[in-house]
Amino acid sequence: MSTAKRLLSGRPTKMRITSRPGEVIDRSKPVRFTWNGREKSAFEGDTIISALAASGERVFSRSFKYHRPRGILTATFHDPGCSVQVGDEPNVRGSHRLVTAGMKVTAQNVWPSLKLDVASANRAAGRFIGAGFYYKTFIKPERLWPTYEKVLQRFAPGGRVSADSPHGSYDKRYAHPDVVVAGGGPAGMAAALGAAEAGARVMLVEEEHSLGGHLRYGSETELAALAELRREVEASGAIEVLVNSAVTGRYDGNWIAILQRNLPHVTERLVKARAKVVVAAPGLIERPYVFEGNDLPGVMLSTAARRLLNLWAVAPGTRAVVLSANEEGDATAADLSDAGVHVAQVVDARRGEQVVRARGAGSLSEVELGDGSKVSCDLLVTAVGWTAPTLLLNVAGDRPVYDERAARFVPGDGLPANVLATGGIVGDGPTAALVEHGRATGRAAAERALARDGTSVTIPSLSPAPHPALYRSRTHGIVDFSEDISSKDLVSAAREGYDSVELLKRYTTATMGPAQGKLETINTVAVLAEATGRSIAETGTTVWRPPHVPVSLGALAGRVLEPVRYSPMQPWHEAHRATPIVAGQWIRPEHYGDPAREVRTVREHVGLIDVTPLGKLDLRGPDVPKLLNFLYVNKWLKLDIGSVRYGLMCGEDGVVLDDGVTGHLGEDHYLMSTTSSGADAVAHWIENWLQTTFPDWQVYMTPMTTAYASINVAGPKSRELMSRVVSDVDLSPEAFAYMQVRRGTICSVPGCVMWRIGFTGELSYELHVPAGYGLYVWESLLAAGEDLSAGVFGLEAQRIMRLEKGHLIVSQDTDGLTQGYGVGLDGLIKLDKEDFAGKQELEWQLERQGYNHLVALLPDDASVVPPEASQIVTGDRSIVGRVTSSRLSPSLGRSICLALVAPQLAETGKSVTVHLPDGTDVRAKVSEELAQFDPGGERLRA
Amino acid sequence: MILIPCPHCGDRNSSEFTYAGEVHSRPSPGDARQGPWRDYLYGKDNPAGWTEERWFHGSGCGKYLRAERHTVTNEIRATRPEVGAGASSRTRP
Amino acid sequence: MRRATRAGGAPQRYSAASLFRHGLTHEDWERVWRTVEMRRSYDAVVIGAGVHGLATAYYLASNHGMGNVAVVDKGYVGGGGSGRNTAIIRSNYLTPEGVRFYDRSTRLYENLSATLNFNVMFARRGHLTLAHTDASVRTMRWRAEVNKLEGVESEVIGPDEVKELVPFMDTSTKTRYPILGALYHPPGGIIRHDAVNWGYARAADSLGVEIHQGTEVTGISTDRGRVTGVTTSRGAISAPVVVNCTAGWASLVATMAGVRLPIITHPLQAAVTEPVKMFLHAVVVSGSLHVYVSQTDRGELVFGASTDPYASYSMRGSLEFTEELATHVLELMPSISKMRVLRQWAGLCDITPDFSPIMGVTPVDGFLVDVGWGTYGFKAGPAAGEAMAELVATGKTPESIAAFDLARFEEARLVGERGAAAVGH
Ligand SMILES: Cc1cc2nc3c(=O)[nH]c(=O)nc-3n(C[C@H](O)[C@H](O)[C@H](O)COP(=O)(O)OP(=O)(O)OC[C@H]3O[C@@H](n4cnc5c(N)ncnc54)[C@H](O)[C@@H]3O)c2cc1C
Ligand SMILES: [Zn+2]
Repeated sequence: MSTAKRLLSGRPTKMRITSRPGEVIDRSKPVRFTWNGREKSAFEGDTIISALAASGERVFSRSFKYHRPRGILTATFHDPGCSVQVGDEPNVRGSHRLVTAGMKVTAQNVWPSLKLDVASANRAAGRFIGAGFYYKTFIKPERLWPTYEKVLQRFAPGGRVSADSPHGSYDKRYAHPDVVVAGGGPAGMAAALGAAEAGARVMLVEEEHSLGGHLRYGSETELAALAELRREVEASGAIEVLVNSAVTGRYDGNWIAILQRNLPHVTERLVKARAKVVVAAPGLIERPYVFEGNDLPGVMLSTAARRLLNLWAVAPGTRAVVLSANEEGDATAADLSDAGVHVAQVVDARRGEQVVRARGAGSLSEVELGDGSKVSCDLLVTAVGWTAPTLLLNVAGDRPVYDERAARFVPGDGLPANVLATGGIVGDGPTAALVEHGRATGRAAAERALARDGTSVTIPSLSPAPHPALYRSRTHGIVDFSEDISSKDLVSAAREGYDSVELLKRYTTATMGPAQGKLETINTVAVLAEATGRSIAETGTTVWRPPHVPVSLGALAGRVLEPVRYSPMQPWHEAHRATPIVAGQWIRPEHYGDPAREVRTVREHVGLIDVTPLGKLDLRGPDVPKLLNFLYVNKWLKLDIGSVRYGLMCGEDGVVLDDGVTGHLGEDHYLMSTTSSGADAVAHWIENWLQTTFPDWQVYMTPMTTAYASINVAGPKSRELMSRVVSDVDLSPEAFAYMQVRRGTICSVPGCVMWRIGFTGELSYELHVPAGYGLYVWESLLAAGEDLSAGVFGLEAQRIMRLEKGHLIVSQDTDGLTQGYGVGLDGLIKLDKEDFAGKQELEWQLERQGYNHLVALLPDDASVVPPEASQIVTGDRSIVGRVTSSRLSPSLGRSICLALVAPQLAETGKSVTVHLPDGTDVRAKVSEELAQFDPGGERLRA
Repeated sequence: MILIPCPHCGDRNSSEFTYAGEVHSRPSPGDARQGPWRDYLYGKDNPAGWTEERWFHGSGCGKYLRAERHTVTNEIRATRPEVGAGASSRTRP
Repeated sequence: MRRATRAGGAPQRYSAASLFRHGLTHEDWERVWRTVEMRRSYDAVVIGAGVHGLATAYYLASNHGMGNVAVVDKGYVGGGGSGRNTAIIRSNYLTPEGVRFYDRSTRLYENLSATLNFNVMFARRGHLTLAHTDASVRTMRWRAEVNKLEGVESEVIGPDEVKELVPFMDTSTKTRYPILGALYHPPGGIIRHDAVNWGYARAADSLGVEIHQGTEVTGISTDRGRVTGVTTSRGAISAPVVVNCTAGWASLVATMAGVRLPIITHPLQAAVTEPVKMFLHAVVVSGSLHVYVSQTDRGELVFGASTDPYASYSMRGSLEFTEELATHVLELMPSISKMRVLRQWAGLCDITPDFSPIMGVTPVDGFLVDVGWGTYGFKAGPAAGEAMAELVATGKTPESIAAFDLARFEEARLVGERGAAAVGH
């Protein structure tokens, strides 16, 4: 009976072989899933690809450019041809992801299907579409580029996302281990043990589904060694093991990112570990060999063949040729025979034997050797050497150097003290040597992490073993399997002048695909070196960039945790159908249905608005007046207790920063209010001055914004309403006049601050009540004012009323360059003060003139409201200003605006042209006053 | 994420701090000429190497502090309080 | 002064026909640019082989016949910001002078493939700047109005139109920062940044310009307030004009000439995902959420955000960048949480106080700057190169860049681009 027949007979799936000692499948637990809609069977422990391979599938995707069929190359996470779509998840690593019951797996990147592939016509055109061909064509006519572009987009590799996928469940965790060990092979396990023995708390992170690294698919002695190491790790109380997890990067300050995928109910979790020391133990990655046909399904790495055989009991083929340059290659040949796969020939590269090309239609059928002989086979295994994945070391500042003898890049000597390396990345040796090196490195890591004197630890030497330098055969083949870049592409790009690694990589896109250079970089460098006649060492390597493995956006984002700020009155607003508006972190009522009616309520009766987001800063100390005098452009040294004053703040560049009122509450005690959006900035601004420039001033500042709920009670009947709820303050106009502040009890709540000011232009009181009583006071006020027709109003009504009054809003009616003069507050600026923030620039602004002015504009057609940001233009369409605020005024029955205009337009009665967004022009006149409603302010002072 | 040794709080993630940049002293009021004043507003040393700068520990002690940081490696070799400079400075071992 | 000369005759043309011929014969393509010995003197030295330096050299040779020019770079062509940016091209700025300047640049980009005979793959996908607050709606309208008056296509659109352009966008009002509208700028798009760099380098080379990679400027020599040349890691060069086009490193180079700049260097990071089939046509920017995203023809999403919060010359990148980015992207498009970030990187940005560039003369005669390009300078390369070349050749500052002079900081004539440049790039 032929090998093939023997393999196929009497087994549930074609290529599954009898039990292997280290297999990770559970034959008692069959799992069913679908592949391109067809039902497939597997065992628990199978990866998608091992299950499919067991069933006899060989082709899992099509290549990016030429749409060549692709099969298994590495049988690891990084397998370039084995990305598949699982449900709505694109680009799933099929050689890593375990099969689960009912999983819907489809091939991606095949148009229209895996078998029939129209785009493979590209293959015939291959010679014309070498690397960089886009740059040289589609140049003219330019208008056709979008059409070409659409065609190119069709060939974009990768799976599909769908607009209705749910966000999914992701999480984050912070960890503070002493030592993080990246890589759970023998050296990594030993390092974790060494560190734990020395007293460190260790996190051991392994990319695969269980610990062990290459021991898992090794010989029986290796399996025994692994069992022992596992026992020790389990027994240690100080090692936290994360499998199916990857250290994705090391950032400044040894901030280690770990992607954890092995949790129930959480798709992925991002662990952020502030490691005292990190030990890199990522092992080695086997590299592909470059020759014609090296991407045919059936051509794979020796590690891939061994993994398939020994982990999943899958025969990688039936008749094999093994190209071996090392012991692992020899062991693979032995494993294959042992498993019943016929090894037709072992090609020993150490004796100069070569594989020249592989042939086959759709998959491998024949290999041509260096001596011209041809061997028919369906499996070609290559074992030509290793790559050290040095990402973690590179991002810590180390530069890999090329070791000619070992034919691979090895770590340089640029590592900081908190990063160590062990295992294959450092050197080669039998398991015992790796374990010994790992254990010592782990101990050294613990010594450093626990800040002990680590001199007692001697780390035995571990150096890379000599290895023949095998990169490319006589023929050209694929170097970058994800990007479909051949060595021929690289050679011609280098000859064209893209002859440094960095340029070559960018021009050809080699190493830029999903495997991020792990498989491709060294061959790229070797081909470039050959093409330019330089050595590999001279050619150098590219920079490895994080993350080590792709990380989902979901894991990076974690749970959705966007903070929101609500005032204590929010339940009332919600119950009364307030339309919410987002104002920075705050969400507040824009209106309760009809802003114009809300305006009338205030103008005719009395209205309440929730102004809790207003910034409130409590200032105490003898030097507060000095501080205020410095921060504001006006004078503050004399402000009686019980009075409030309006102030304008400018930055040191004279640009308007914020405004608000500050009240003198008592001896050495003030309360400052700021704009809602400026609250944090002003608090910072004050701290900055106090701490860096005036450290001897005695001032304490406490942000109180959310400690108080703030309510403005506005309207002609507000005094009446207030008198019903305030018992301990004399509210008569003589006793509590405009621009005064009192402390007292409102609705039996003591400790409230009330001041008589108003943005709306009406008689009004601004109340700051302890936040916990906010809702109670709000409801009580409304109840008390029922017979006064008291109502509520939102932000929109307030904006209308302040515009009727011509009050500016900083950053709406001013912009990033608007300085203090010109915004209607010139009289406030006191240049005779010795010093204040922005004084110098304001002085110079005044000298220079020519600045814009804030004016009120009345459109000639009173029914036209020019949208905010409409531009004011001259006859020749040059811009001379813009409308900063505009509304239809319910009180005046006409449109009103504020505008920033060039100085020559800032004259009462001047007629200007406003260019509306719809393209039409309207005329408007500059009004005498900024305030259109009650310009004398009588209502306010009532 | 760099770790900043706050002289008041100890080692903390840089995300707790606000960067306040190079330290430039304010020309004394009164005799400020435009050149020096504008240099105070806009001029920068922007060195590639060690520099002294301010950070504000907003999500911690609320204090400004001075740090000596290397702008290429981001290593911080010393910090001290902004106020009463010189007292209780923290230097990394 | 040497006239521009063709190095080795007319450059080889790129076209479908030449591609076909090469495919058949497999003969080598001509070198994209020459590697030649560095000479001891040139009519001008340009420091920095990014898009600004290369474009300046190209237009010097092509528009002014000045081919005796060396472009020196400590690394390789396009190794700075010009090879690390997210390649967004747009002209929807806020100030009239800004809009005019970027519009000129965009127009040069539109014809650049033909001008340089190198496909730079400019894809006008349309550019959306989302507004999540009424304040940003106002700013968007402001930009749209200024744009339209300057002849640039821009318009404020509502959430429904946003949804039509970007079906994956969550335009519901249930999000934390609901989308109230957007500034839509149809001519905006993305380009292949490396192609622009290489195309300029190749075209400049063919007109006689020499490009010296791996050549670091270590000093700038002056004599009585005039520049006389530069010293480099490969020897000294004398030249009557030296142009500083070194972006993130601009302060360091200017200091060599004794010129102090109002610049802070901040890293700016970007990230790219694994490819998926095309689903996002437009370029989407959200200033409030500090993030922007586009999808390349290869299917990858390219993300960017605001600059790192502290000054640094480090290009290592940070984890918090990708975390914030992902958080904000998923707020816009919650259904793409399964896409994976493949690679992140950083570049250095030269940030000025008014988020506008600095172009023109300095207190040192002959030492010119084309810097301060911050997070938005790639799109400006052609127009800046054209204007700088004119300045070098004629000694007169062109009108188009007059507002962006260095003296504006001392004279307090800042340009108000903060609002339009902050995250949009
Ligand atoms: C992540 C990121 C995203 C961005 N996104 C966009 C975008 O979408 N749109 C946009 O318009 N802009 C964007 N930008 C900004 C844009 O990349 C830059 O403004 C632009 O590339 C600057 O070009 P440049 O030619 O001036 O400088 P660079 O391209 O940075 O070139 C400067 C060169 O100077 C060289 N140099 C420095 N010092 C020396 C020395 N002493 N001697 C010799 N050589 C020296 C460097 O090696 C470098 O090659 C982005 C930037 C980054 C980092
Ligand atoms: Zn602190």
